[in-house]
Amino acid sequence: MEFKKEKLANGLNVIGEVNKSAKSAAVGFFVKTGSRDETEQVNGVSHFLEHMLFKGTDKLSALQVNEAFDRTGAQFNAGTSEEYTVYYAAVLPEYLLDVTGLWIELMRPALRDDDFNIEKNVIKEEIAMYKDMPSFDVTDQCRSLHFDGHPCGNSVLGSEESIDNLTSEQMRGYFTRRYAPNNMVLACAGNFDWEQICSVAANSCSEWRQQGVERKLEHYDGSKKKKRAEKSNLSREHICLMSSGLSAQDPRRFAASLLGVIVGDDVGSRFFWELVDKALAEAASMQFGPMDGTGAFYSYIRCSAGNVTKVLDTVSGIFQSLSQDGITEDELRKAKNKVLSALVIKNELPMGRLGDLGSNWLYLEKYRTVEDDISAVKAVTVDDVNVLIEQFKPGDFTQLSIGPAENNG
Amino acid sequence: MTEKFDEYVLKNGMVLLGEKMEAVASVAFDFMLPAGAALLPDGCCGAGGVIAEWIFRGAGDRNSRQLGDALDGLGLARSRSVGSSHITVGAALEAGNLAQTLDLYADIILKPSLEDDQFELARQLAIDGVLSLDDEPRHKVMLKLREKFYPSPLGRSSVGDIAELKALTTEKTKQIIKDNFNLSQTIFAVAGKYDFDAVCQQIERLFKTERQENAGQVKIGSKAGKYTHLDNDGAQVHIGLMTGTVKATDEDYYNARVAVSVLSGGMSARLFTKVREERGLCYAIGARYHSLKEAAGIMCYAGTTPDKAQETLDVIIQQFNELGDGISEEEIQRAKVGLQSSLILSSESSSSRAGSIAGDYYMLGRVRSLDEIKEKIEETSVDSVLGFLRSNKFKDFTVVTIGPKQVTVK
Repeated sequence: MEFKKEKLANGLNVIGEVNKSAKSAAVGFFVKTGSRDETEQVNGVSHFLEHMLFKGTDKLSALQVNEAFDRTGAQFNAGTSEEYTVYYAAVLPEYLLDVTGLWIELMRPALRDDDFNIEKNVIKEEIAMYKDMPSFDVTDQCRSLHFDGHPCGNSVLGSEESIDNLTSEQMRGYFTRRYAPNNMVLACAGNFDWEQICSVAANSCSEWRQQGVERKLEHYDGSKKKKRAEKSNLSREHICLMSSGLSAQDPRRFAASLLGVIVGDDVGSRFFWELVDKALAEAASMQFGPMDGTGAFYSYIRCSAGNVTKVLDTVSGIFQSLSQDGITEDELRKAKNKVLSALVIKNELPMGRLGDLGSNWLYLEKYRTVEDDISAVKAVTVDDVNVLIEQFKPGDFTQLSIGPAENNG
Repeated sequence: MTEKFDEYVLKNGMVLLGEKMEAVASVAFDFMLPAGAALLPDGCCGAGGVIAEWIFRGAGDRNSRQLGDALDGLGLARSRSVGSSHITVGAALEAGNLAQTLDLYADIILKPSLEDDQFELARQLAIDGVLSLDDEPRHKVMLKLREKFYPSPLGRSSVGDIAELKALTTEKTKQIIKDNFNLSQTIFAVAGKYDFDAVCQQIERLFKTERQENAGQVKIGSKAGKYTHLDNDGAQVHIGLMTGTVKATDEDYYNARVAVSVLSGGMSARLFTKVREERGLCYAIGARYHSLKEAAGIMCYAGTTPDKAQETLDVIIQQFNELGDGISEEEIQRAKVGLQSSLILSSESSSSRAGSIAGDYYMLGRVRSLDEIKEKIEETSVDSVLGFLRSNKFKDFTVVTIGPKQVTVK
């Protein structure tokens, strides 16, 4: 593995990790913009804009873009979060230059009105689709309740209303401010030729104009509010809990991830043994979600309406015992083994490697090898985790549940 | 690229397959046990899920907690699934832990504790799983679609039926395990970094049994019907549609795969272009090839708001019906490149390779090399795909919808 980087005069960072033994290569643009960078008037614009990039440029129609991707056999997609927007593709090495060239072109989209109006329907269909996925819906709503006015609580999709009201004019303005070269990273991983990628980037991206971009960073502890919503067509209770956590820049993030695994991994965690193994809940998980300048622990639990009280009492008990007695050596050892093997398996694929490469650069402006992460996980001690529990009090959470009417729990 | 496949058959008939991958430090394995939903006795729908849970709740001399701790201690990313033909249990892990892990899996498969109180919990979770499906219409519609498309019992739900789960007893379930965990019909596959001789010796020692007769063939019944609607006051109508095509053993198999790819392989494929890009009817729209050993189909999903549901279904069916009218050379090229490249991209993952070689062996009785598949795809052409489509016209569409509004299937 060999790391390479170059910064163009306009601030665009180009980074790469070359692995000549890989059978494929992956490339992506990581743009540091997401729903937290939106105002209420344009809520949903980051995600809508992500769709609009596929609609083409002054030279390419949407169909031509899709055809060009498909000619390379790329597995490609894009995603928008509260924090950033990512465009990525995995291809056989011989197609990497083509697909990189295509992404570069798309980063300067036409944003045509006709396309904007048709795509509005697709966005509204996506909003409707997620309404029919209560596990997603409850997490989204809980995030808003938890961040309660802090920009990290902004919905990624926006609402039907905010999308209806959004104009292509507003989108163009947002694009110009946020898709500035100094707010983006072009990253590659796997089997590719670094010099070629660099020269393509230098030839095609140097004209992009730098902008003064910023993001308001403010840690937020969370509202700790509790709320329940009813939905007549549901048959189960969907519960989301959210509590304060540390940021993606904080070196203690590895300890925080391990705490998430100890409390809420799918199998073998405290939630698993107390809730799922005993069939009180059908699903129960907790994860650490590091963000820019702040962070949160998220839990999702699904159970019958009749079990809600028992489930929440059990959850309280779990957090209470964590804060009184902390975690054990044995729990930490198992959590480390799980995290380490997942890390190794994920990084065997260039596509898996690309994600860490890009997000490390966005958050830390640093290259970290897989071995750096492995050492950081190995170095975490029981005390490190217990100090976090004491400081962040995961039992002190915001709670949102969605379930059927007439909850008899 | 030449892959090295290993193959060894135990005296009892259990098949061991392996594929070495030079570039990885991980290893993944699967045990395919012939206890899938279609192979269960009538009246036990959902027993597969109960079994897949129950056998992990204590095995050998370990109770449930000790077994879970032992598996976690090895850092396994565990996987298990219940399909039409098999219960598959497996894991991906760091290669150094393989031998210890296989010891544990031998206990799970051969010496599960099967205690009564653990049965109740496993069954409760299975019932909860069925109830949760009501909150996941997108998942439910595809399960219902298989049930209605495949002749009974091939499409039987792998999640289960509440009444049948409630009626299930420990005795009955133990009997199913005894009959269906038949090592003579079991396939074990490993991929990644491993020593095949060592694996074979260990498995031979752990899984040494007498050859067992096949528990009995599935009696295939009739199809269930053309259109089914389930009412749900949700935001979208979830549409599942399926129509028959050739199986993996058919000489037209690769023509069928390329045809599906023209229909729905990438973002420039027909369905995405006509339904989403040109009309904005859906966010999620796609079709894929789906095959059992006994039958195969093209399976399509679309989710859309109620007022657009009829138009969405009509446009989808029109795209299926017009496929045989003509396909351009470029479309075929993109379809071929897409299929070949996804084949190679997935070949970098040890879990994906273990699953593929086991699946090949079950479907075809042998493992295909990546080169063979690439060549077969390459051999297809506009003429061969159109020829296939014209002599195998899509006719019967099985349609299932879940949502606030019904559609009319013309």
